[in-house]
Amino acid sequence: MVNTLAPETTERAAHSPRSAGPAVDGRRRARRHQAVVAYLFLAPTLLFFAVFLILPLGFALLLSMSRWAGFDLDDIDPVGLDNFTGLFADGSTFLTPILTNTLLFALGTVALALAGSVVVATCINNLRFQGLWRTLYFLPIVTTVVAVGNVWKYMYEPGGLVNGVLNALGLGSVAFLQDPDTALPSVVVVQAWASVGSAILILTAGLKSIPESYYEAAALDGAGPVTVFWKITLPLLRPSLLFVCITQFLTGLQSFALIIVMTKGGPGDATNVAALEMYRQAFSYGDWGTASAAAFMLFVVVLLVTLVQLWIFRRKGEDA
Amino acid sequence: MTPSRRTGGLSRRHFALALPSALLASGCAAPHQGTGRPGDPIVLTLLSHYASGELKEALQGPVDEWNATHDRVKVRTKAVEFTDLLTTFMVRQAAGQGADIIQPYCLWNGQLVQAGVLRPAPSEHTAEITRGYGKAAVGAASVGGKVYGYPTEVQTYALYYNKRLLREAGIVGPPRTWRELEETAYRTAKRDRYGNTLVQGFGLSTYDDSTTVGQTLALLNAAGGTFVSADGRGTAIDSTAGRAVFDLEHRLVVKGASAPGINVYKAFQSGQVAMVVSAGWWTGSLKAQMGKDYRDVGVAPVPVPKADDAPATLSTGFMLGVNTASEHPREAWEFLRWLNTEKVDVKSARKGATATRMSSLQVSVGSLTGRADDMRTLLGQGSDPNLRPFLDALAYAVPEPNVPGAQQAKSLLRKNIEALWTGQQSVDEALRTTRRQVDQEVSRSW
Amino acid sequence: MNRRRFPWLSYLLVATGAVLTVVPFLDMVMTSFKGPGESGTLPYRFLPKAFDLSNYRAAIHQLDLPVLFRNSVIATAVITGSVLLTSSLAGYSLAKLRFPGRDFIFRLVLSTMMFPPFLFFIPHFLILVHWPLAGGNDLFGRGGAGLTVSIVALTMPFLVNGFGIFLMRQFMVSIPDEVLEAARIDGAGEFAVWWRIVVPQTKPVLVTLGLLTFVDAWNEYIWALLVSTANPDVMTLPVGIQLLQDYVDPTRTMPIVMAGLVLSILPVLILFLLLQKYYIRGVMLSGLK
Repeated sequence: MVNTLAPETTERAAHSPRSAGPAVDGRRRARRHQAVVAYLFLAPTLLFFAVFLILPLGFALLLSMSRWAGFDLDDIDPVGLDNFTGLFADGSTFLTPILTNTLLFALGTVALALAGSVVVATCINNLRFQGLWRTLYFLPIVTTVVAVGNVWKYMYEPGGLVNGVLNALGLGSVAFLQDPDTALPSVVVVQAWASVGSAILILTAGLKSIPESYYEAAALDGAGPVTVFWKITLPLLRPSLLFVCITQFLTGLQSFALIIVMTKGGPGDATNVAALEMYRQAFSYGDWGTASAAAFMLFVVVLLVTLVQLWIFRRKGEDA
Repeated sequence: MTPSRRTGGLSRRHFALALPSALLASGCAAPHQGTGRPGDPIVLTLLSHYASGELKEALQGPVDEWNATHDRVKVRTKAVEFTDLLTTFMVRQAAGQGADIIQPYCLWNGQLVQAGVLRPAPSEHTAEITRGYGKAAVGAASVGGKVYGYPTEVQTYALYYNKRLLREAGIVGPPRTWRELEETAYRTAKRDRYGNTLVQGFGLSTYDDSTTVGQTLALLNAAGGTFVSADGRGTAIDSTAGRAVFDLEHRLVVKGASAPGINVYKAFQSGQVAMVVSAGWWTGSLKAQMGKDYRDVGVAPVPVPKADDAPATLSTGFMLGVNTASEHPREAWEFLRWLNTEKVDVKSARKGATATRMSSLQVSVGSLTGRADDMRTLLGQGSDPNLRPFLDALAYAVPEPNVPGAQQAKSLLRKNIEALWTGQQSVDEALRTTRRQVDQEVSRSW
Repeated sequence: MNRRRFPWLSYLLVATGAVLTVVPFLDMVMTSFKGPGESGTLPYRFLPKAFDLSNYRAAIHQLDLPVLFRNSVIATAVITGSVLLTSSLAGYSLAKLRFPGRDFIFRLVLSTMMFPPFLFFIPHFLILVHWPLAGGNDLFGRGGAGLTVSIVALTMPFLVNGFGIFLMRQFMVSIPDEVLEAARIDGAGEFAVWWRIVVPQTKPVLVTLGLLTFVDAWNEYIWALLVSTANPDVMTLPVGIQLLQDYVDPTRTMPIVMAGLVLSILPVLILFLLLQKYYIRGVMLSGLK
């Protein structure tokens, strides 16, 4: 923040021979004044990023290469890359099932939420009472994850709503959250259910920005609604879809609040995900080093997944 | 529309600075604990899992008594539920808000000692502890040969059974051998036409550690096996005894006598479980929740593989220790001595009978301590006969290992047991993965 | 108009989805009225036998509800206020002021959105605990409890939001420079320009950002869980209600949890229903893409 005046000074030095009139002088003063104001306006933000972004990054890096129980700062014991090799050692559960679960969880959530929100958003766009419908779909967004998790946990129980419906249809009960084969998909459904609303919101904004003239032209050509959807709506919705995809993936890869509430990672490791493992390693087992190393590995995954998505969407964009 | 430059400038500065400085100011408030003024009493905080119901009241009794009779040192209790206890210790310690006195589950002692949370007992207290308590209790409260606290609650595991369900299936008494156990389980199990379990023969439940690992380790000990190897740096689960236990549980699940998805803590009360291995504390809850149906509940020692095998089971426990971060360790140990070893009159028993406050407290909530003399006094007559098998087991129970990394080892064992029960792993795989994972985790923790 | 040729299919799909969305909430409300032994038993019943309020009384009795509410309200208000203020100020600087380093800072703001919160979870806690001169700490952040003794711990990591700044900046770019220039020529300082012209023009997007932040902050669970574990005095509603899970009588646990949940989500729900017009319009206007 302090050195920001430096470029200004050099600029002035370079320009000073040519600056003659008082008008130019005034403009320069105004511009410098603007710089001061800008940095004042930005000061809280920059201060925050320094303390809660740059500094933590340093700490995270330091901790990931140390052994520490989290208590006395003097006890931080550097161990090089041991924490990382430990994560991938034979017998470690980090790669499978934890990281695999994380990816499956995110992938499942994105797929379900995207499919659901595209269908609903396009359909709502054709209906009356759009506001009413949207309100209903937004309910899960404004509800805390503790509520969502507990309600669904209860509905999945043997005496809960879902099994009640299954039994009424003459089907057998399913131990959704207790059976490791169904636990992860069951949680994925809930996470998707909870995030469909925000996806609809973003897609609706995208839909509204598609010029009506495109549809009118298509109607003149006699295109059916399905053709219109595939040839006009979907391609023009690509930026919104990309946005939904990336943000939902980011959320999916790192969210574990729902899992803490619903399964605590069980049964076994069936729903254990990287962020939950990180939380436990640090705050239950006092292994802040392993926890930080796990966080960095998850960060790498997040970065890779995001880059791959950007690449896919860009390539598709060129094809079209 | 156009205020003067001057006003704008002031507001700017005000806005830019207000936020961080306000936050800093509010953060600078001094910490809460103790006023530190001379003459004011020392306040010791005690963190346990006696968070609700009768447990909370039972502990509050002696603490109130101490506070009423001691002017210089006061004790304030804090509590969280057991499932949050370890995380609470670790997080509060990390946040510089660790309690002076903590009551850890003995399984965690290795981890807590290694992390520098627990303070070793001073020699006079060590002497008092080794003198007053049974071997299993002292062992559970020690790490590396050093004593770290007063053993409090001791739990042994035994077989709970529903007399009515056994009778309805035409079975006279509780099983003594594993063969009888299986037979009883198959004969008592019931399902409806949708496949919903109505009655589990033997309650294997993925509900929590004690219903998975506790049961399994009790059976493992009964079969003569141990979970952690003698040197404490690996597991001994992959043995004949370990295989026998996994095989038994696997058969029970496959043949439909057990439904791991059902919470036995709810199902047993409503007559949906015929047998389950659990700890002694449960008698208290069952009595409170079942009302007159409690007369159907029986307790027997954990069955052994063959009729002539020596009895064995698991014992787990808690202890009260002092935080290394405590500023008043001497006072804290003194309070613990008063609570745990000073004998006082027992109101309910015959005249002249004495026991420690802790023993009376534990027995009042249907639990035990590692002081055999107290237990004989307190469980003399008129007490719940279902507590007897747990008391007898104190003599032969094997304490749960408490090496560093023991909690992770337990979690890993639990995950593999659950994978076995739910058909994700075969017995062979479960044994092998448990060994690989526990060996890796425990060796890293040292 | 032509696109509404098959509205029945749309109606069917949308209505099905809406039912799936709403039923869990109805189940929550119904369960909250169920008596002991009435929930979780076979066969499943949707409606309670009687609309009994005892679960609500039990939930209020078990929890220190006013304290939980107060903590949630304070934390949410501070976070929302701070995010709105900092996003608007920073967004204005980045959109409309010229100064050296602007592009760099804008890229920095963009890059903050790339860093996932969990990466900072552990270091944030560490920083709060070892905050110098707070909660009994010395100048080097040792010896005390740091900011974890204070309710600000709940809010600290969320006070500034990169996305918020980005959103405000994108929106402010479209404000014509001439309007601002005219105000400046009239003698208005930058602060006045921001407050008198920029803020009113960006009201819809401010409402949007405010609601988004409010909802996130009110519902935040993981960080609040950690902070309340260190210091239960600052426990928020979601954390407190999750604790109801440990309610001693298992046959009544779920109805009581549901009652607590109904009470905790009602205020947000009402607020949302009142303001949703702004919420939706704001998002439409901002053209989130």
